[in-house]
Amino acid sequence: MGDKIRLCHLYPDLLNLYGDRGNILALMRRAKLRGIAFEVEAVSIGEAFDPDRYDMVFLGGGQDAEQNILRTDFVTEKGEKIKEAVEAGKVFLCICGGYQMMGQYYEEHDGNRIECLGAIHIWTVGKKKRFIGDTAYVCDFLPDSKTLYGFENHSGRTYLGEGVKPLAKVVLGAGNNGEDGTEGALYKNVYCTYSHGSFLPKNPAMTDHLLQKALEVQKQGTYGLPPLESDAEDFARRALPTCKNY
Amino acid sequence: MMGLRAGTAVFSARVVSAGLRLIGRGATTLPGRVALKIYPPLLSLLSQGQHIIVLTGTNGKTTTTHMVTDILESLGLHVITNVSGANLATGIATTMVEGLRLRRKAEKSGKKTVYVLEADEAAFAKVSGPLQPQVSVVTNLFRDQLDRYGELVHTQAFIAGGLDKSASRILLNADDSLVAALSKGREDRVVFFGMDEASMTENSVTNPGKSTLGETTADASFCPFCQTKYTYRARSFGHLGAFRCPSCGYQRQEPALSVSYRMPTPEEWADMLSGSVSVKGPSDIGFPVTLVWKGESVTVGLPIPGLHNFYNTAAAVSACVLLGEQWNEPSLNFAACANAVAQVQPAFGRMEKFRIGGKSLCLLLVKNPVGLERALSFVSQAADAGGMYLLLNSNDADGKDVSWIWDVDFESRSYPEKVFVSGERYGDMYLRLAYAGIDRNRMKARPMSACGSLVDEALSACEDGKCLYILPNYTAMLALRQILVKRYHLKDFWK
Repeated sequence: MGDKIRLCHLYPDLLNLYGDRGNILALMRRAKLRGIAFEVEAVSIGEAFDPDRYDMVFLGGGQDAEQNILRTDFVTEKGEKIKEAVEAGKVFLCICGGYQMMGQYYEEHDGNRIECLGAIHIWTVGKKKRFIGDTAYVCDFLPDSKTLYGFENHSGRTYLGEGVKPLAKVVLGAGNNGEDGTEGALYKNVYCTYSHGSFLPKNPAMTDHLLQKALEVQKQGTYGLPPLESDAEDFARRALPTCKNY
Repeated sequence: MMGLRAGTAVFSARVVSAGLRLIGRGATTLPGRVALKIYPPLLSLLSQGQHIIVLTGTNGKTTTTHMVTDILESLGLHVITNVSGANLATGIATTMVEGLRLRRKAEKSGKKTVYVLEADEAAFAKVSGPLQPQVSVVTNLFRDQLDRYGELVHTQAFIAGGLDKSASRILLNADDSLVAALSKGREDRVVFFGMDEASMTENSVTNPGKSTLGETTADASFCPFCQTKYTYRARSFGHLGAFRCPSCGYQRQEPALSVSYRMPTPEEWADMLSGSVSVKGPSDIGFPVTLVWKGESVTVGLPIPGLHNFYNTAAAVSACVLLGEQWNEPSLNFAACANAVAQVQPAFGRMEKFRIGGKSLCLLLVKNPVGLERALSFVSQAADAGGMYLLLNSNDADGKDVSWIWDVDFESRSYPEKVFVSGERYGDMYLRLAYAGIDRNRMKARPMSACGSLVDEALSACEDGKCLYILPNYTAMLALRQILVKRYHLKDFWK
């Protein structure tokens, strides 16, 4: 039997903005090209989340209206199981709204505080001005190409608490809050970023890192991910307007 | 009578307009901006006693506006309409000022004038009150560029505000749950258009999706009144279909005007195409659509293909019929309006087709996920497709964020053998296609600076008698058109 990864896509019917789907396509593609089977299961409102079933969990971003619909289900119904999975070291990828919801709270610009899951020690304050634009980050733990390229589109300012590391350092763009030069968050194997859309497709080193982590956790040991070319991804990286300078 | 200030406003707009033309610039918004500055209530003054249809919605408003214009003109009316893109208050004011003179000219030749105005969703809220249209049309609400108006519910709120500022009849898409929800509290004024339910079902049966992963999901899956997930008896595309909320019972209502069609099978297409030498592909034949209004039925060949255009047709015909009712104009009866559909021509960049030697070139503007999805679906079914060329820019008018291309289902379709890619974001689009499984040997991707020479390459790779389908987003299309005019000595084909 070959290797297999099963990913849980949380609320795909509600969190469907900003091209999040591209991240799952990237994981699937780079797993399958290596002969690793990759299964995706959707889990939405009212459906049970069983952390033991999954090697990876994906939580994307959505419109406010939709995020409000699912927040109760996420925090009260699935909350304990999700925290369990986080502490067990399951690999999570949380983007933008999903990143914010994993944190402690989201304070709207009028001061109204929305309680979030509190699975990781981060919090977010909403501001009127949105950060929109191309981004570049440097990510220390990646083996070769440490530069990550992305695109951010968010009005929330996120701050990292104790025990949470930034995912990367900002070289272009606002990142978490436009103040401290950090981008995203890393807690155990929970990877969070504001970079949405084609985050993983354009950052194959990160895709591979997540696949490797997922298999290591599954096997409770080291795992040698077979090498794989990334010609198409590299072409797209070189074609980015930001690539020349960063 | 026009007061001094209004007169000055109109005069100034004309001077600006003449000045702009003199220096070879388009005069689609600045004259109106100047006029509104001088005399803010100008729109309400110029629209007094006029017959006006205003169209809004995220997709298809340009095409529908164009269709309404073609139908009314073919029935002998004089139409004043704003050019595509000039759909903010300033563009509409420009159109109204220019309309003054055009209207008088038409009156002299004994023609009655109708204003057919396309309004951007946010602009609609502003112009609806001053214009007091007789008919307001909402085509649909799909997710647009995210950095534009933000979320769909905001767009819906803009439109609701506009609807309440006039006493017009309201024409709504019955199959779009977000649009149909606008009927709440406005029932007396609302008329629905939509697709016949059997046609929806048939479409999903004959063209089943074969997506394997992460199905692209609809923009509106949840009831706005009670946040329960809809069930669908049938779907046409996106979130359009026969929806029903299992909890509060909010559901699609039977449309007053319905459109039905049957997509011919590939074999039937081949049959239809084999008989004629001049016909090169399905897009050269009118698509047979059947329109039904109050028990009366008309089948007509629609010259512009595409499932979304069946909706646009239903919207256009019902807008004309409703105007006829409001105005008591007998020439605008249902049968006449429906039959006039055979006369409609594509709008700016929407399925426009040009012949270049023995080949042709077709422009399909794609601005948002559902637009691209429709265009891809069309190209993958076009028997005459000899190549596909995608261009993706990311200027303000396009939306800076191009992540939406990942929300489009490229995976479940097959494409012409040769695929070309350009635009400022050619890398993003190239990668999207590569991830959809298109082998890189089939693709050529070049920066925007080389987009013209890539047309040459694409055309020379296109077989004789076939068509190169070009799918640009907004600013890419504007740039490409200029290049096409120069390169292939086409006339100003957008006029």
